[in-house]
Amino acid sequence: MPVRIWRKPLDAEKIKVKKAEVHILKNQCKGCGFCIEFCPKQVLETSDELNIKGSHPPKIVDETKCALCGFCTAVCPDFAIFTIEKDCKEGC
Amino acid sequence: MTKAELRETEKIGSVEDIRIGVYVCHCGLNIAGSVDCEDVAKFAADLPHVVVSKDYRYTCSDPGQELIRNDIKESKLNRVVVASCSPRLHEPTFRRVCEEAGLNKYLFEMANIREHCSWVHLRDRKSATEKAKDLVRMAVARAVLLEPEKENTVPIIRKALVIGGGVAGIQAALDLADTGYHVYLVEREPSIGGRMAQIDKTFPTMDCSICILAPKMADAGRHPNIELLTNSEVLEVKGYIGNFKVKVLKKPRYVTDECSACGECAPVCSVTVPNEFDVGLATRHGIYIPFPQAVPSTYIIDRDLCLNKENIIVCDKCVKACERQAIDFEMNPETVELEVGTIVAATGADVFDPASLVEYGYTKFPNVITSLEFERLINAGGPSGGHLIRPSDMKIPKTVAFIQCVGSRSEKGHLYCSNVCCMNTIKDSLLIKEHWPETKIYVFYLDIRAYGKGFEDLYRRAKKEGVVFIRGLPAEVIEDRKTRNLWLVGENTLMKKLYRVNAETVVLSIGIEPRKDSDAVQRLLTLSRTQDGFFMEAHPKLRPVDAPTGGIFLAGCAESPKDIKDSVTQASAAAARAGILMAKGNITVEAITPRLIAENCTGCGVCAKICPFNAVFVDEESKKAEFIEAACGGCGTCAAGCPFNAIKMRHFTDEQILAQLNAATKENADKKIVAFCCNWCSYAGADFAGVSRMQYSTNVRIIRTMCSGRVAPKFVEYAFSRGAAAVLVSGCHLGDCHYINANYQTAKRVEKLWKKMERLGLNKDRLQLEWVNASEGERLATKIKEMQVIVSSVNAEEIDNSKKMMRKG
Repeated sequence: MPVRIWRKPLDAEKIKVKKAEVHILKNQCKGCGFCIEFCPKQVLETSDELNIKGSHPPKIVDETKCALCGFCTAVCPDFAIFTIEKDCKEGC
Repeated sequence: MTKAELRETEKIGSVEDIRIGVYVCHCGLNIAGSVDCEDVAKFAADLPHVVVSKDYRYTCSDPGQELIRNDIKESKLNRVVVASCSPRLHEPTFRRVCEEAGLNKYLFEMANIREHCSWVHLRDRKSATEKAKDLVRMAVARAVLLEPEKENTVPIIRKALVIGGGVAGIQAALDLADTGYHVYLVEREPSIGGRMAQIDKTFPTMDCSICILAPKMADAGRHPNIELLTNSEVLEVKGYIGNFKVKVLKKPRYVTDECSACGECAPVCSVTVPNEFDVGLATRHGIYIPFPQAVPSTYIIDRDLCLNKENIIVCDKCVKACERQAIDFEMNPETVELEVGTIVAATGADVFDPASLVEYGYTKFPNVITSLEFERLINAGGPSGGHLIRPSDMKIPKTVAFIQCVGSRSEKGHLYCSNVCCMNTIKDSLLIKEHWPETKIYVFYLDIRAYGKGFEDLYRRAKKEGVVFIRGLPAEVIEDRKTRNLWLVGENTLMKKLYRVNAETVVLSIGIEPRKDSDAVQRLLTLSRTQDGFFMEAHPKLRPVDAPTGGIFLAGCAESPKDIKDSVTQASAAAARAGILMAKGNITVEAITPRLIAENCTGCGVCAKICPFNAVFVDEESKKAEFIEAACGGCGTCAAGCPFNAIKMRHFTDEQILAQLNAATKENADKKIVAFCCNWCSYAGADFAGVSRMQYSTNVRIIRTMCSGRVAPKFVEYAFSRGAAAVLVSGCHLGDCHYINANYQTAKRVEKLWKKMERLGLNKDRLQLEWVNASEGERLATKIKEMQVIVSSVNAEEIDNSKKMMRKG
């Protein structure tokens, strides 16, 4: 059905897409880059920052893009990254 | 061949025995109005082998047919020539007449003196009569060389394919399935239902669209004779009437049949996108069902949206939510091969995108909506729960203005009328009045076309309800920045007054247009399209649901814009037509396939290489070409390409075509254009020019071949050697060839001829190539007019030169 689709859906506000908080334990990271490579939403990228291990931990580009799939946590060999759902009771 | 037929063939071998009857038809005044039929009949009487020559008022009438039958018996005619309308119209009629009188139908020939003569030369009786004589002379010359043929019968596979699962496709599939045939119903979208599923109410009865469609969808879904292939596309169609081989790509849903449509999966999915079904007015998730009544009632994963790309599963929320474990990311696309006897094309239509009409401000002003968006908004199951809110502030508008003919009946969109928008608007206005009676409604129109059963009543009801109809479309829609209301300014053409109307919502009544990918379907099924872009029927009056290609039928908006009732009617008709073929169980194939002249064949394999149907191969032992009759389409490009004259195309032999050329160039050749037109596109285009009374010069002589690929270079050379001023080769557009790609050979051959002409110092403009489809009569007429300039510029010396050169060549 190729019809022009351009409007913001009327229910865009109602559809609750869960907001995420991404936490990186920088000093635990060995800089393998798996999380950056496998993130389906390209939330992360390499940073110039050096941690105590002398490696570059990832940095967050756009936290709002995170879909909370949790794959970064699953692939991280160093247990250095995890995501939690934002508490939006008071708005966020 | 039976013994009797063999005897007949042998008898014809000696030229003296040929006895031709010529019948010149007046067709009332259709022919007699601009051609002196009596004179033509007198002229024909003196042609060699003609023993009977008569003119008759209506040759196709019963007494006309009787006349021919009697003459065949009494005057022992063994050839019949009727000079009347196009063979595309009445050749079957007269062939039957011949058969009834015991004459093989391949011994009949037609001269087209109506579409190709009287109708296109309405104001030049003398020249038209001369042309008619020439056309009869050509037909008689060809008739002398005609041979009796026997047709093969081929069995028909008793299965049907329906492409498109809108209301037309569903109806066609149900009718065929109920008749007892196995049906494959292929739909590109995840669910059947099509456009009708999106609509709220239907005119003129105002019943709920999905309420009457959903049971039909369910019937189609569970019918034992219907195999539903949704989320699937037809990739390839090969074969011919009765024996199509179809490849269908089944795209994976990533959700198995185990799905119970409980809907637990969608809310947990973290990706969203505007829902196509709601024209983007609502949101759907990466895993979704297009609409609640969808058939099959199975969810689907949009892998373009899903976080899981290729082989990496990063997100398994839906998998965890699905109790029945119906989600399977491992599903792969699958190609299924089907064998069917008939095909119904019900591929539907697109809607016009009004963003191109900047004066109406669609996509610029939020409160300008399309009629399709209106349908979703007014629908109780839609994104606003049936409240006609306006997008800017979600409030219900107090004034609504409809603008008609958006994209229809105008140079700015399409020239044709989209057929449904007038009644749709009237229905919509009544729906608004039903829910919010106080709403002020304006309809700006050009003409209100309330032509169908019950339509006028509905129109009157709307007027009675207080809907204001104003004749004259607004010149512009202007938005009030503060209120987001819209000003419509234009001229009321009945009152001759300017108007300036304020409305809170403007609905653009958008037209229907051919599918963007129509050319893909066209190529798959070798269909033709009209100038408007919709698929063309075999005959607009008498075969309105048959496609020009045998075994293929059309239904719904693919053929032209139409409402639900007409779509359903046409679908049932298409199913009946397909059913007739399949009930018979077999079909006779026209005896126009090639025969090998074995002593000439060197086994070079050129024919095998150029055959579009792979119906020719060179036998390894005998080193001779062999034909697979059942696969052959009969285009004749093999015969035209054979360098050793080893292929004889039955009913379109070299000798027959050369005899026509001889006759066409007998008199005043230096003023004539010889045109070769393919049966399916260009000859039909010339017929269309005739039906539309497009006038062009009288000096063109059209020779019909099945395909432009049949036109051997030697025909063109022969025409020039006979002193013809110009030659036109005309066929279907490249890519639209009725014989897959045979016309690419035409293009190559003409290129070569041009080069040769240049080499010989001849003016290569005298040979023209033009692609003309069946609806492009105008294009053909224009081409002939253009060529007239070339003809008048060619001098006697040039003609002599080409005569000499081409004879040598």
